[in-house]
Amino acid sequence: MPKVTVTSVMERGGAVCGHREGTRVGADELLVLVAGGDQKAFEELYGIVSGPVFGLVRRVVRDPAQSEEVSQEVLLELWRSAARFDPGKGSALSWILTLAHRRAVDRVRSARAAGEREQREAQRSHRPAFDHVAEEVEAGMEREWVRRCLDRLTNLQRQSVTLAYYDGYTYREVAERLSLPLGTVKTRMRDGLTRLRECLGGVA
Amino acid sequence: MSVLGRLFRREDLHSLAAPYALDALDPDERRRFEKHLSGCDACTAEVRLLSEDAVRLAWSTAAPPPFAMRDRVMSAVRATPQESPGNSPAYAPGRAAEAPRRKSHQLPAHVWGTEPPPRTRRAPRMRPIFAPLATLTAAAALVVAALFGVQYTQTQDKLDTAQAEAREIADVLSAPDARATADRDARGQGITAIASASEGRAVVTLSGYGQLPSDRVHQLWLMRPDVQPRSLGLFKGDTPLVVTGLDKSSTSLAVTVEPDGGSEQPTSAPVVQLALESVGFGE
Repeated sequence: MPKVTVTSVMERGGAVCGHREGTRVGADELLVLVAGGDQKAFEELYGIVSGPVFGLVRRVVRDPAQSEEVSQEVLLELWRSAARFDPGKGSALSWILTLAHRRAVDRVRSARAAGEREQREAQRSHRPAFDHVAEEVEAGMEREWVRRCLDRLTNLQRQSVTLAYYDGYTYREVAERLSLPLGTVKTRMRDGLTRLRECLGGVA
Repeated sequence: MSVLGRLFRREDLHSLAAPYALDALDPDERRRFEKHLSGCDACTAEVRLLSEDAVRLAWSTAAPPPFAMRDRVMSAVRATPQESPGNSPAYAPGRAAEAPRRKSHQLPAHVWGTEPPPRTRRAPRMRPIFAPLATLTAAAALVVAALFGVQYTQTQDKLDTAQAEAREIADVLSAPDARATADRDARGQGITAIASASEGRAVVTLSGYGQLPSDRVHQLWLMRPDVQPRSLGLFKGDTPLVVTGLDKSSTSLAVTVEPDGGSEQPTSAPVVQLALESVGFGE
């Protein structure tokens, strides 16, 4: 297991949202090559993004088989529509994870609508939203750092953000679960995200 | 609506930026907000910033995917044409060979936590038969309205169709016995099928045949011994065709050129045929 110090995590955290590092350029360049039909470039891109995509999808969708299915869809979609990526508008990794998150949320909502998850939802609702991370096999430093920053949010900020992002609830559902007015939830989400930015990105 | 009402509505829409960045809008609201975004530069900038924030929440979730996923995705990629680059940055085909490659061990460590990435050993060797299939071809139907693509003009209908197609394709690909077969000639014309015998389904791609006259169409047929060919559908450009209901007696696929709308039975000799024995069909 590679040693990761908090300092290095901070630096990396800062680097990814800043403009001075090299790693991000890798995925960006590869995605442009993929848009040109380069299958080798796609293989390399797969090596970089399949873990983040699969992990995020699994975090939202939970069910391993469905997570795999959604991840495959996302990666194939990436191949087909790589030409839509515009490096001027953000990093490749952000673009890809945004796409993956959208698909994961779509899936979990239709599954929820079908009532498949009712039972598990009922059990889970007694625990704070962030607790299910614990079931992840690997508790890396990044996870620790994001968690630490989430801990700095107020309760309502944290719950509003994580119920939406990790659990795929709409802000209306979040408002209902937390018994808050819609306007309050929208504000908590915005404040939560902004504070997260300060904590994760503003440290460098 | 009164001026005040309009202002209020605007303000109301604007407050959806954070929920939008978190994918926490229902489809109707999402659509409405995206429409609003297309005319509001300030909102677009804010949404982009908030979305970058939201993506930070994904940093900590990376996990190695099942190993078999790689082969499935790569098989799919070989058989799937891409959307036309359209308005993407100019791209010179020659660059692919020259551009410096980054090795995958240089991947951003933060996305892995302390877990090593699945190694790329055993990278599937590309058989020549597959290599030219995924060429840079005309637009495929699949579209993405991913945030940073800012494709706000896409209609939700089109998106839904594309998603349904992608799901169908992914379904076939995730079958445990999904296998690929292809037949191509020296000019690169040919047919590829990824099929699952257990599910009786296949994804079929036609490539290299160029544009047909507008009153002609490529029709796909299922060939079985002692039975009339059965139509499996019409190809729309380069979009793969998902076919179902293949049974063990299915010996091959054939493609003919037919009048627009297709025919009951083939009216011309096949332009290409593909045996299905190697993917678990035929008796």
